[in-house]
Amino acid sequence: MQMHGFLGRLADVLARQLLSWLHRRVEPGSREWLDALTAESECADDGWQRLLWALGGVPLVWTINKRRQMNEPARGTMRAPIVRGVANIAAIAGGFAVIIPATYLATYFFRCHLFFGNQPGGCQEHPFVFASIAICGTVLGMIIALALRARFAAFWWAVVSVCNTVGSVWYLRSGIADLPRYGATQSAMLMAATFGVVLAAIMRDTPWTETDHGPSHHVGDSAGAPAPFLSRHRITAYLIAGTISFAMADSLTRMRDRHLVADNVNHYAVLGSAMFAAILAGLIGRHGSRLSAKGTIVRL
Amino acid sequence: MPRLPNTSPQTLSVLELLLESPRSWHYGYALSQLTGLKSGTLYPILLRLADQGWLETRWAEPEQPGRPPRHTYRLTGEGAKTARTKLAEAAPLRMTRRLAFVPGSR
Repeated sequence: MQMHGFLGRLADVLARQLLSWLHRRVEPGSREWLDALTAESECADDGWQRLLWALGGVPLVWTINKRRQMNEPARGTMRAPIVRGVANIAAIAGGFAVIIPATYLATYFFRCHLFFGNQPGGCQEHPFVFASIAICGTVLGMIIALALRARFAAFWWAVVSVCNTVGSVWYLRSGIADLPRYGATQSAMLMAATFGVVLAAIMRDTPWTETDHGPSHHVGDSAGAPAPFLSRHRITAYLIAGTISFAMADSLTRMRDRHLVADNVNHYAVLGSAMFAAILAGLIGRHGSRLSAKGTIVRL
Repeated sequence: MPRLPNTSPQTLSVLELLLESPRSWHYGYALSQLTGLKSGTLYPILLRLADQGWLETRWAEPEQPGRPPRHTYRLTGEGAKTARTKLAEAAPLRMTRRLAFVPGSR
């Protein structure tokens, strides 16, 4: 009996989550019918019926989006992805266009060479200079991307800036002693940062919280249920994303039998990359949500 | 051959139900219960009928406090007229379909 009650509640939660997820798949201006279906789900007698009812939202959302695409002028539909692609490419290329000349300028200015090993006179003799260029360049890339409303490029630069920042700290703390193993650490950091950004981007809250038709209500509020946990506790969401990313990167490293430099600092570097990346991606997501609410974002 | 719009058995059953009391407002959940259609079938039909101007929609205040407003539907004058025609045209075919499911009718 208790088990039955638990399963019923679980179905109820799944139904509400599904409806909430479907809301994010529809633009605010086209939500009337999904809101109608959501409101009627309250008439269901139990969680299972509600879940069955909510499943009907999937073909409805498909119909709504198809109808919207058919009603959109062809020029607009072609123009949007082109603008989006150009903005993202420009933001990525623009960032590199800043970092590479700045690095060579520093090389010239400080009369040092771009050696990334233990060669004398290389960048390890000017670690602060190279670390600053690497970090500032990528952060600048992220700012350019955000200015161009190019979210993909912003996430790209987030991954690179995380790797550069954590890598610089790692280097300044321990120095490069074993290049092949440092390579493994770098790969693990890159993986962790990428997972962190992707997970946090997936977990980010819906940018559309308002309704523009009928009486104002949102699925989380109207159905008498609280907003999803991860929406209410953003920091927790980012920390979860970071932890999962660290676990994934660490597992992959172990599975491939790629031992990191035998010092715990490497695992901290991977953990730091995952956490930092998740938080940074979360902040980019929030920034994007605000722009999206103003109707000025160029989506992924 | 492509089917004519709004002549599917599901659409016709919705139209038939709406025509029983064309001036009153109907709720989606009740329509689903009475026609036996799942929400994923019913709502795209209602959406299409509303797009074609056959259906009027309205947000109604909830009957119980704390519940969200409900979407209600009724046929427009034009919609009711066209629905009657469609149902009359489809009546022989629908009768054949029903008979096909009566035991011993084959």
